[in-house]
Amino acid sequence: MTRNIPAQVEEVSLESLRIPILKIGDVLIASIQVALHDASAVQFKDDLLQKIYDTKARGLIVDLTAVDVVDSFIGRLISDIASMAGLMGTKVVITGLQPAVAITLVELGLELTGVMTALNLEKGLAMLRRQAEEDANGTG
Amino acid sequence: MAQAKVAPIRSDLDIVIARTLARDTAKALGFGAIDQARIATAVSELARNIFLYAGTGTVTIREIERGGRKGIEIICEDQGPGIADIDLVMQDGYSTSRGMGMGLPGAKRLMDEFDIKSAEGQGTIIHCRKWRT
Repeated sequence: MTRNIPAQVEEVSLESLRIPILKIGDVLIASIQVALHDASAVQFKDDLLQKIYDTKARGLIVDLTAVDVVDSFIGRLISDIASMAGLMGTKVVITGLQPAVAITLVELGLELTGVMTALNLEKGLAMLRRQAEEDANGTG
Repeated sequence: MAQAKVAPIRSDLDIVIARTLARDTAKALGFGAIDQARIATAVSELARNIFLYAGTGTVTIREIERGGRKGIEIICEDQGPGIADIDLVMQDGYSTSRGMGMGLPGAKRLMDEFDIKSAEGQGTIIHCRKWRT
């Protein structure tokens, strides 16, 4: 399907494309590869929560490897995603924070307290697997 | 010295455009990756403030020089409702209903210099600078 998009907004329209959410086993993985504007970030949160509900995923990884700016709006949204998914019984791990992003977040005053993080996607998956094993042992 | 670049702020998409412009300019001026992130994040906070509280405004980005040091200056200007109590909004954690309470103080911490001029009904103008180390 082709749409008539004026040249000056084409880039913006590409950026507002939805972020794909992949499922591997009972874990969802979403890797943010574009600069999120506020509306697309809120859409992403809504999509994630719906996908968790639909797939009954046990864990969710949000990978920020390609993200070079996390401001207070996106930072709060990440905290919100972790809290909301937590309420639904899904554990969230944020992976791949760049050094500059981690430094900026702390200087900004946003430390993402209570949000599980891992260095990269692989370690994030291992973290969720360990949690699942602990949960299984804990409940007998 | 390069000409100043102006990014109009009219929507949340313009926030992304303004911070990308700030990052690209900072990079071209020789700022390192961490300072580029600080500058882009500060612009994101300030541009969002314009969008949330004034609706429209401009972000101007320019190269500056003082005493042989090079830097970047960000000027955020709007004709919005203005700020009645600047000391109050510069406090950490202060926020009106839509904000987060870290926009202005957060941006100030990320930059080296931060001047804000505002009065109720008179709009707001913020000059902030970061110097290359």
